[in-house]
Amino acid sequence: MRTGRPSNYSIKVHKLYFAQASYFLRPISYFLLLISGLLFQPVSAQNPAPAKPQTKPIALVGGTVHVGNGTVIDKGTVVFDKGILTAVGDASTTFDRNATEVIDVTGKHLYPGLIAMGATTGLVEISSVRATTDNQEIGALNPNVRALVAYNTDSEVIPTLRNNGLLLTQATPQGGTISGSSSVMELDGWNWEDAVLKKDDGLWLTWPPFFAREFNFEDFSVSLQRNSRRQEVINNLAQLFSDARAYSQIKNPSITNLKLEALRGLFSGNQNLYIRADNSKDIIEAVKFAKSHGVQKPVIVGAEDALRVVDFLKENNIPVVLGETHRLPNRQDEPVYQPYQLPSLLQKAGVTVALSYGEAYWRTRNLPFVAGTAAGFGNLDREEALKMITSIPAKILGVDKQVGTLEKGKLATLVVCKGDILDMRSNGIEHAFIRGRKTDLDDRHKRQYKKYNDKYDIGNK
Amino acid sequence: MKKLITLLITVSVCTSIWAQTPTFPRNGVYDERPELYAFTNATIYIDARNVLENGTLLIKNGVIVGVGKDLQIPNGTVVNDLKGKRIYPALIDMESDYGMPEVKRTQGGGRGTPQQIESNKKGAYGWNQALNPETEAGKLFTVNNAKADEMRKLGFATVLTHHHDGIVRGSGALVTLATDSENSVIIRSPVSAHLSFSKGSSGQQYPNSPMGAMALLRQTYYDAEWYKNAGKNVEYNISLDAFNALSGLPTVFEATDKWSLLRADKLGNEFKTQYIFRGNGDEYQRIDEIKASGGTLIVPLNFPAAFDVEDVWDADNVSLAEMKHWEMAPANAAAIEKAGVSFVLTSALLKTKTEFWTNLRKAIEYGLSETKALEALTTVPAQLLKCDDKVGSLKTGAWANFIITSGNLFNADNVIYENWIRGKKYIINNINQADIRGTYNLSMEAEKGKLIISGKPEKPDYQIVLSDTVKITPKVTYLNDVISLNFQPDRKAPNATTRLTGYREGTGFKGSGETAKGTPTKWEAALQEPIKLAEARRDSTRKPAPNVGKPLFPFVGFGNAEKPKSETLLIKNATVWTSDDAGMLPNSDVLVENGKIARIGKNLSAANARVIDGTGKHLTPGIIDEHSHIALFSINEGGQSSSAEVRMSDVINPDDINIYRQLAGGVTMSQLLHGSANSIGGQSAVVKLKWGGNVSDMLLPEAQFIKFALGENVKQANSGNPTSRYPQTRMGVEQVFMDHFTRAREYERAWDSYNSMKTKIGMPVPRRDIELDALVEILNAKRFITCHSYVQSEINMLLKVADSLGFKINTFTHILEGYKVADKMKKHGAAGSSFADWWAYKMEVKDAIPYNAAILTKVGVLTSINSDDAEMARRLNQEAAKAVEYGGIAETEALKMVTINPAKIMHLDKRTGSIKTGKDADLVLWNNHPLSIYARPDYTIVEGAIYYSTEGDDKRRDEVEKERARLVQKMISAKTGGATAIRPPFRRQRMWHCEDVEGVMAEGEEQSEEEKK
Repeated sequence: MRTGRPSNYSIKVHKLYFAQASYFLRPISYFLLLISGLLFQPVSAQNPAPAKPQTKPIALVGGTVHVGNGTVIDKGTVVFDKGILTAVGDASTTFDRNATEVIDVTGKHLYPGLIAMGATTGLVEISSVRATTDNQEIGALNPNVRALVAYNTDSEVIPTLRNNGLLLTQATPQGGTISGSSSVMELDGWNWEDAVLKKDDGLWLTWPPFFAREFNFEDFSVSLQRNSRRQEVINNLAQLFSDARAYSQIKNPSITNLKLEALRGLFSGNQNLYIRADNSKDIIEAVKFAKSHGVQKPVIVGAEDALRVVDFLKENNIPVVLGETHRLPNRQDEPVYQPYQLPSLLQKAGVTVALSYGEAYWRTRNLPFVAGTAAGFGNLDREEALKMITSIPAKILGVDKQVGTLEKGKLATLVVCKGDILDMRSNGIEHAFIRGRKTDLDDRHKRQYKKYNDKYDIGNK
Repeated sequence: MKKLITLLITVSVCTSIWAQTPTFPRNGVYDERPELYAFTNATIYIDARNVLENGTLLIKNGVIVGVGKDLQIPNGTVVNDLKGKRIYPALIDMESDYGMPEVKRTQGGGRGTPQQIESNKKGAYGWNQALNPETEAGKLFTVNNAKADEMRKLGFATVLTHHHDGIVRGSGALVTLATDSENSVIIRSPVSAHLSFSKGSSGQQYPNSPMGAMALLRQTYYDAEWYKNAGKNVEYNISLDAFNALSGLPTVFEATDKWSLLRADKLGNEFKTQYIFRGNGDEYQRIDEIKASGGTLIVPLNFPAAFDVEDVWDADNVSLAEMKHWEMAPANAAAIEKAGVSFVLTSALLKTKTEFWTNLRKAIEYGLSETKALEALTTVPAQLLKCDDKVGSLKTGAWANFIITSGNLFNADNVIYENWIRGKKYIINNINQADIRGTYNLSMEAEKGKLIISGKPEKPDYQIVLSDTVKITPKVTYLNDVISLNFQPDRKAPNATTRLTGYREGTGFKGSGETAKGTPTKWEAALQEPIKLAEARRDSTRKPAPNVGKPLFPFVGFGNAEKPKSETLLIKNATVWTSDDAGMLPNSDVLVENGKIARIGKNLSAANARVIDGTGKHLTPGIIDEHSHIALFSINEGGQSSSAEVRMSDVINPDDINIYRQLAGGVTMSQLLHGSANSIGGQSAVVKLKWGGNVSDMLLPEAQFIKFALGENVKQANSGNPTSRYPQTRMGVEQVFMDHFTRAREYERAWDSYNSMKTKIGMPVPRRDIELDALVEILNAKRFITCHSYVQSEINMLLKVADSLGFKINTFTHILEGYKVADKMKKHGAAGSSFADWWAYKMEVKDAIPYNAAILTKVGVLTSINSDDAEMARRLNQEAAKAVEYGGIAETEALKMVTINPAKIMHLDKRTGSIKTGKDADLVLWNNHPLSIYARPDYTIVEGAIYYSTEGDDKRRDEVEKERARLVQKMISAKTGGATAIRPPFRRQRMWHCEDVEGVMAEGEEQSEEEKK
């Protein structure tokens, strides 16, 4: 269905190239892009400073605690110290009140920090301005490139995600057949080194799709046809994987190959292989390919037609990260709500499902609403929907010992919300803690809001 | 070999008549012959309804001089006895490019090509390269024997040909399919005028959309009228002159589907011209509307091939609509006949011409009557072209254009022997060739067996059986009574060949040859038994037409078997969000009658009402999307910086599945906007989402809006291509507006001054300009602007332009920096229609904030939330709810942003947008709090008719599945039965957004968020 997911903007730019003319920008355009890039570079000073480490134990009492594993504790108590959860329980939970800063959150709801998998936040600032995009390297096979090092903690997009409850994203490279490796980032930090929770958690592979977009220059028509070049791509991949697997058995190779080095983790099980595939046949092929090459942990991403291969996914124990389900059905005759219901249908069939926002960057803040839509339209229990953006992604990412649920011993990475976090009516984040650090919830939007509230003097309206 | 002989005969015939053009000098000796022929004892179809048994047809010098029973045959007549055979008038095809030069599509517009702003035509022609009224098929025509032969074999003698290039294609010529000099082949020229929506070889930017093509045609009609009266003294214009010369000719409009046919008819109505429509084979899907057009149809027989649906997963990529069309297309002609629509048939649009008879017979099998079929190929086209005195029937005085057949023309075993064109014979199959089919006793000197001849009389199949079991297929040539057979009698010896040569003698064959062993032998084949022919089908007998399922309205999955009707509905005990002064009414009832809200209250009752229990549910006004691009065939006419003349109402697509999907999200009304490719876009169309209705069912003609646009799109900032269209900066954008409105004022003055003259005689009429008409409407507050806008500087600019020229900006749409100039907008009286939370995807939305709607509202600007996206539109209630989160807007006020506020913005609040007695019953019953993410519509009601309901949707899903399953099985059987099947392509529907240029965003294209602006 899709030929990989480059950044959203690049899809459009391609389209316009097709539409009118040159594949290449005129020099003057490059110049303008450069200028605009300089003029409008994200101004780091505008983001609030990252929070200081937790110095004193904090207890949040009286709120409804959504643990993230399906459990809900009414009038709960959550205590954390030095960034670690020290107690999670009901009202009877005891802690040293004298040494602890107690925050009454009665009537509020507590959630683990939400996790957005497959996001490009921090890699893309303004998608139409080339100078601000670092999500897609040139070339087809880039296992060695790392999203981590391009991740910009000063992106002005990041604070806007925190304000909807997202505290962790998987910074994900895009493009090519193998896009590179992703890393799990905390949404607060001075630089990528201190923002990273898990480095290089996995490699991203776009499975060559059964159907590829064919563009006809004669009449400008675009259609999806059987992909005529896919076997060649698969052959190249097979060569790479078998070479890399053999290479991985050599401890100290005499000639270091950066690309092959980058694949080592797949065979040892240290890294996931995230495979973007939507078509049901692509999904089967991709998983079989991965297994046959000794890849320990394949994950299917996108998975629009996963309903047809539910048994296959279960038998092979393959977790699925759905792309944006705020989309239309792919086919005219599909049920109108099918994308909304997909998470629920897969979950009820026994597939491990995480939700993502389709590798978006700024829109990623709407991830809780994707889960809410899944609950509302799919008759899915809200706590189950919540798991799809908390504990399940944590498990897939291999960070479930630290984040994903509110359990003793895990990181104090959580939010206090006005109400139901999955519903925009009540998704108002009042506090956010990342490793116990109280994060400043200011963002560009709030500043502008305040500025113009003051201008019009409508603060009290 | 036989082919070659036929060709030789053809050629020799041609040479003999080549000399008939009297003005041409002759190289050789005169060879004028009496050319007097009689055809006797034939069944003669004078026309489809007058048949003469045992009749005689007498022709002289290419003209019919007699047709009747007891005709005197003058001396010197060549008499052909056609006992048992039939004569039909030769067929006429009205849709052809026979003899026309190839249309070369411009490569322009592809990578690296600069935009072509002006016409490349050199000379005193009109401004647009797609207008070719001066093209005369008669001047371009050249004889093409190969193509003519192809058509002659099918029985055609005359075609109406035209050059298929451009929107105005000039005149057509009626030509025969004789192989002769052009001078004698062209019968009449000009005989017709031809129009289309396709710009053909023109690489000029404008128009690049069907609504642009429509506008160009409108303007051309006006320009031609002006040229005739006043313009010819102002400029010399070959094109307008030629366009005027076409008026009065029968005009054929090439439609590409049912909706473009109806669009063309709308144009015809505006200019009091009844077009003849070249259809596309899907007319049955909207036959009532097509009939109402009053036009005659040129109907192709282009039936789609079955899809290969044996792979279950791949088969899902074929839509129900495609499968149903595959099943129903052969019944199209029958449906047209049944509806009483006048039509002709054409061999055009077939993959190969040889499909013509197969498909025509199939159409007859599916219910088309033979009489109508024959008329549609003879008398009807002749009458349409006002040539019925000469062609289409075999009456005295008409040209001798006829075909001789073995039997009923429409029977599968019919053979066309000869096609006579103006008295010249073209042999298709040898009429004198005896039917040799049968079983013969084959005897050679050393061996005996059977020779079995079967197959078609003109193309027999041969088989030899030497022993009881071994069947051998010999190689045979049989021509002019001489036969030659060779075969391998022993399978184990494939290199040993028996060769027999001989001739027909009586009812058998005889001759000599050499056996495989090299022994000379005599041989003989004596007829044992002639072939048993199935009893010839009587013309009137007919099997019942195959069952083809039922049409859907619209013709796609989830379509209605019957169009939904307004009902008397009583919704009981719901929480009613009125979006009105009445606020929110708990536990209340709403009565709907005649499409209107009749009563609101408690404990209402009404006899005959369908009662819907609203307990625990929420009733709101239907959601209104101020900014939508669904249900359209095209979005942008971006060829020029202003396209005020184009109308989105010309390109509404009632078949778009997104209409149904929006209903499933509670949307009842959408404003379909032009895109944002240029500063002054096109005129908007506001539609009620009446799924199954036609364009006029959906359209609200009282809503008169136009799209404007500012910023990056109109200056083509993100295209990355060499762009040369003005403007390229926001400075230029301002000047586009200043320039256009200044001109509009002057234009208005010119007309005012003309209209106020007491005596107009001798005064030149000003030229009507439909682009300026739209701008004058804006100046006079008769048309209202919806302006795509983002940054404060440009919003401020347009407000100042409007203030300085004395008009109003009705709505700023998107308006993501509206919060920065909310006070100015309020002062001007402009409304804002915003995205809830979009930002960051391009430079001009860097300062977009989700608090925008809240600030605008608090400052006092009338504000709505829009989608610009078919997906987001079905969650507009969720998007409105974001105004509660971002900016603390009250929930009832937030709901107003997608109900009464957009209704007010679109000046339709008197009839819809709130729950108030007397207003249109556009309602949604939600299963949950309407601003909650968990809310789904249980019922979506438009003007009292239920267009979506949860249980209705379940039923539709069930029907889609059943119908798909039935058709899949049918397709598989068709394939097993030998029908060709094509691999299912994966088609995704076009999704339009502001920036989409015609043709770029096609099926299968992936949408991205950035397009949505």
